[in-house]
Amino acid sequence: MKHGPAAIACILLLWAMTPAAPQGVATRNAAPAARSAASGQPFPVSLVDVAERAGLAMVFVCGNEEAKRYIVEANGSGVALVDFDNDGWLDVFLVNGSRLEGFDAGSAPTNRLYRNQRDGTFVDVTRGAGLARSGWGNGVSAGDYDNDGFTDLFVTYWGKNVLYRNRGDGTFEDVTDRAGVSGSVEQWSSGSTFIDYDRDGKLDLFVASYLRFDRAKTPLPGSGPNCDWKGVPVFCGPRGLPFGGAALYRNRGDGTFEDVSERAGIRAVSGYYPFTALAVDLNEDGWTDLYVACDSSPSLFLRNNRDGTFSEIGIETGLAYNEHGIEQAGMGVAAGDLDGDGRLDLVKTNFSGDYPNAFRNLGRGIFEDIVLRAGLAVNPQFVGWGVGLVDLDNDGRLDLFQANGHVYPELERQRRGESYRQPRLVYRGLGGGRFEDVSAAAGPGVAARMSSRGAAFGDFDNDGDVDVLVMNMGTRPSLLRNDNTSGNHWIEVKLEGTKSNRSAIGAVATVEAAGSRQTAAVASQSSYISQNDLRLHFGLGRARRVERFRVRWPSGAVEEFPGAAADGFIVLVEGSGIVQRQEIRR
Amino acid sequence: MTGLLLAIVLALQAPEVEAILARENDPEALSQAARGFAEARRYAEAELLWRRAAELRPDFFPALFNLGFMHFSRERFQDAAPWLERASRARPKDYNARYLLGTALVRLDRREEGLRAWRAALALRPDDVRLMQVMSVEYSKGRYYTEAAAIARRALGVQADDPNLYYLAIKAAQDAGDEGAALQAARRAVKRFPESARANFELAFHLYKLGRVEECLPYLRKAMEADPRYEEPFFFHGDLLVRQGNNDEAVRYLEKALEIRPDYTAARVSLARAHLSAGRPRDAVAALDEAARLDPSNPQPHLLLSQTYFRLGDEARAGAEREISLRLRRENPAVLEAAQGRPFPEKP
Repeated sequence: MKHGPAAIACILLLWAMTPAAPQGVATRNAAPAARSAASGQPFPVSLVDVAERAGLAMVFVCGNEEAKRYIVEANGSGVALVDFDNDGWLDVFLVNGSRLEGFDAGSAPTNRLYRNQRDGTFVDVTRGAGLARSGWGNGVSAGDYDNDGFTDLFVTYWGKNVLYRNRGDGTFEDVTDRAGVSGSVEQWSSGSTFIDYDRDGKLDLFVASYLRFDRAKTPLPGSGPNCDWKGVPVFCGPRGLPFGGAALYRNRGDGTFEDVSERAGIRAVSGYYPFTALAVDLNEDGWTDLYVACDSSPSLFLRNNRDGTFSEIGIETGLAYNEHGIEQAGMGVAAGDLDGDGRLDLVKTNFSGDYPNAFRNLGRGIFEDIVLRAGLAVNPQFVGWGVGLVDLDNDGRLDLFQANGHVYPELERQRRGESYRQPRLVYRGLGGGRFEDVSAAAGPGVAARMSSRGAAFGDFDNDGDVDVLVMNMGTRPSLLRNDNTSGNHWIEVKLEGTKSNRSAIGAVATVEAAGSRQTAAVASQSSYISQNDLRLHFGLGRARRVERFRVRWPSGAVEEFPGAAADGFIVLVEGSGIVQRQEIRR
Repeated sequence: MTGLLLAIVLALQAPEVEAILARENDPEALSQAARGFAEARRYAEAELLWRRAAELRPDFFPALFNLGFMHFSRERFQDAAPWLERASRARPKDYNARYLLGTALVRLDRREEGLRAWRAALALRPDDVRLMQVMSVEYSKGRYYTEAAAIARRALGVQADDPNLYYLAIKAAQDAGDEGAALQAARRAVKRFPESARANFELAFHLYKLGRVEECLPYLRKAMEADPRYEEPFFFHGDLLVRQGNNDEAVRYLEKALEIRPDYTAARVSLARAHLSAGRPRDAVAALDEAARLDPSNPQPHLLLSQTYFRLGDEARAGAEREISLRLRRENPAVLEAAQGRPFPEKP
């Protein structure tokens, strides 16, 4: 009866490594990729948080900020930069959440609308505007669905969603029930976007619901393999919880919408946890498609089949997974031309321990993930959310801003090298689809550690550079003013549809200046369930004028416009062929 | 073993065993007799006698240990564990009792308890490299990557002439996310075994992971020269060339890797990527079909087949392959992911 321990040890060594148990969120242990040699050029942008000074006092509520029992407390909300009163200045709309234990009557937090006072400050006009609604808000998208010239808002909730019609007099009207777009009270909606999918000139509406959340049926932290993060008991999911879904509402043009999810093939798509929805023409066939960043499930590319239906082709086109075919926890998405080839590429943010995606558009709607080559794989330690491809230094090359924040506040007490509050990231675009991390040089607003979620991009002070509005869990927002000392030129372009929807959502504009071309799209929602300025911003470097504009309108029309002097705000109206100055009230 | 079963055995074996039980009250003598039965593979009788010895003297180590060991050697770990636990308590400084207890618990999927028993065994024999190896593997399986890396490093510190210890340390450091330590171990391996294909490959791989692509190439070449029948460096070099867009050269290396190991699915998928990038979708389909045939549970060939057919304009087949890929993922959701590490629970 003598067996040497060593012999037994050898047998044990031969045991096959069993595959790891699935975890609540899709990630991997990706190490930071190597950084290329720094360009050595100073970054002329400093992002400074002026939210407090500007009067943005709302505190975001999203469950318990010490420990989260359920996933509904973790995802935060979106923010919007919209010019609701058409004075040429961006106003701020913030979506607020709630908490599981509720609030005393009259003390529940609400969404907030802040009107831009054109002097760097904002005033809270929520109540007067009719937007003081409490509930567990999530995302926001904007678009002029009734083509009356005023931007309307759609807000998603855990519960019924809300469509606000902008009356044009500084107030909004809740038209949800009449419009028929509320969804059901059991739904937890996340992303949404206006989209004119049938090219009838009226904005339709796509709404995603993250997952079917039933508190009574959801296990508690630590109660299963999907409820653990590196040994720490945390809220369960999204894996293990019932998948979400999506709906498509067709705008009848009379203030009502028709649910066409079944007929359009949207309902048939299943098995995903959708977040941000983005409506742009990805395969350049003149019809607006949908891309949905999905959490811990394949992301979706809903191709517009030009006949009122969509086909989900994310896997076939390389947009569902990363370059290795691995599922990721997609949060936010930004569209922009990464490499200057005139095609819209995508950047998607993901969970920590993973890289974002830099999906390069190869044409015909086929994509490849070039994140390593792009230099964007150097900070996998952060959970990425809001993201924007914007030219922060106006040098004519897109830069990238990413808002970060972990989902587990419990990590703050664990001291294991991960933190709930994380700094932001800024990458300078070097051209050719390559970036370098300049976060350390991009100002105190970037270094600040918050647990951020949504982010919206736009020039709130109309000084010719892109600023950033960021949602922060459990505290006020950040309004990162861009103090840009580059002296580079710029132009801001507002597109106005006539045959197309008036907001021109889905339009793609190309500007030519100093021998180079830049392409950008008007999107109703992007970043993380947030709304950017509907105007398009182009940095022009040393060029003092734009030589030509070209617009692919969502109606399918392609139109060229003559050039314009740099450093101004212009409007391109579909079919007019002329460049107009945007009126900016002082 | 249940009392009823023992009673039946007792009835069957009654004359011989009963005689011993009737005349012996000495645990030593009972244990000696039991050993004789065990060596004759008469395990039931042996158990009865050792149990009796343990009843007479509850901390009688030979009975406790041998009962445990007998069950262990018959792979009856559930029965072995309590006796080995008692043996460990009766003689806390006995290495074998603690080692076997740890092994039994691990085999019972009580990994954390098993590792604690092994820790106690290791404290008794701090230089036991073999134990450190198995502990590192088990820590890894439990996602205790930091502990796995630490013990693998310790094993290497004790015994620096076993190449497998280097590879264990490299892998454990990699799992723990410590690429620097993985690279350091790989460098030591090359220094100690300069002609080893595996050591050179490991160093090349970890240099690459740290973005030092040019620096990794000489080691890759050395690995390929050192052992032309070792497929990994050929695959890795080919895959690296695909990423760099050097598709035709990549094909040469990938085909070599496949010549050595025809069932290497990852190499076939990479070969398909090279063909696809080089504008040869039909060749990509051929490579992927073969990969899918060789590894029918792997979703990756079907994923790439879906993308290839889509590029070829065959959306129906693209859709069909996509569905297969999705189904295979559902059947094994963790196959493509790395689990997150966690700290070892020091206390039960």
